[in-house]
Amino acid sequence: MRRRLTLLIAGLVAGLVVVAGAASAADAPPEVALTLDKDQFQPSEIKVRANTPFVLVVTNKNAKAAEFESKDLRVEKVVPAGKTVNVRIRALKPGTYAFFDDFNKAATGRIVAE
Amino acid sequence: MGGTFVITLREGFEAALILGIVYTYLQKIGAERHYRYATRGGLLGVLASIALGVIVTALSGPLLDLGPDVIGLGVIFVAVVVLTWHGYWMRQHARAVTGDVTRKIDQAQATHRMWIIGVIAFAGVFREGAETVLFMWGLLTQATSTSGWASALGAVLGLVMAASLGWAIFRGGRHVSLQRFFGVTSIFLLLLAAGMFSTGIGRLEVMGFLPATSTAWDTTFLLDDHGVVGGFLNGLIGYRSRPSMLEAGSYLLYLIVAGTLLFRSGASSPRSRAPKGRIPAHAA
Repeated sequence: MRRRLTLLIAGLVAGLVVVAGAASAADAPPEVALTLDKDQFQPSEIKVRANTPFVLVVTNKNAKAAEFESKDLRVEKVVPAGKTVNVRIRALKPGTYAFFDDFNKAATGRIVAE
Repeated sequence: MGGTFVITLREGFEAALILGIVYTYLQKIGAERHYRYATRGGLLGVLASIALGVIVTALSGPLLDLGPDVIGLGVIFVAVVVLTWHGYWMRQHARAVTGDVTRKIDQAQATHRMWIIGVIAFAGVFREGAETVLFMWGLLTQATSTSGWASALGAVLGLVMAASLGWAIFRGGRHVSLQRFFGVTSIFLLLLAAGMFSTGIGRLEVMGFLPATSTAWDTTFLLDDHGVVGGFLNGLIGYRSRPSMLEAGSYLLYLIVAGTLLFRSGASSPRSRAPKGRIPAHAA
């Protein structure tokens, strides 16, 4: 019983590693920069092309961790203080997608896909 | 202060709920001396959360982009497996156990399964742990001004509140009959695991490993899963105010598959008709 669970866990982990590796090796979509500084996103409105995947390069210039989150995009991503995190965003239908810092609700912004 | 209170309360609630249930479970089956499995699992979860929090701040590049997500996914699916297993086991015993507990519990069998309790406690704490560590750390480094202190205090109070709720479950659960406790918690664990499964599938969907689906419904205006009540329901039964079709579908699918397994086998297997007060040795 214990062995079976160990095997199952090992299999899951191995699968995730392979999948993660494959994802990072895939073609690089265009990058869009987003900076969090003093409770504000710069820029607070991002324009992107609709139906095209892209990578949001989120840099946190604050001294505390942030969590880039968007309910519209269903993305949640911790960005440690002073760090840059790449967030892969899937092809979006035309429209407006709001995002915010879940650790500091004062910081908000939106993505406009056209 | 209120904002940080809600965040840590929300992050800590699921862990408190799970710990409350596993301690009560151990108390119920007369295995108080095995509390240490839950305690160690929980403590390991805290240590792992701190370690991951520290590691994440030291990482950069693809490791930082994908590392936490991969670990998060691993924890979610391990949690789903152990919770399902445990719920199944409790369901079996809810039907078989009546009367005086301590005498009738098969101690050897209970001991054999104790490490699963440890895994459940670990996963419950670790799941949102690293995020909470990073959040708390950021607040504490800013706790130099009055508002900074108020925010940090709010966050600490949120964690204290979550822990109190876990404690309340433990205190309250002690007075419920074993059979009812097993019966009720096996359903709770089923819903909890369904919520986690759906979250895991949702992560895979967002990461692009599963096809993107549209929003199934949006009840954010009614009950936001980031608010206090919505957050509770999220921890308790996996409530989501804005799930994708895939998330909603996987929640339902899990409920149907695991529910069928839990309730049909409980009702039709011969072990449920075992003599009163005896636990069949093969039930685990």
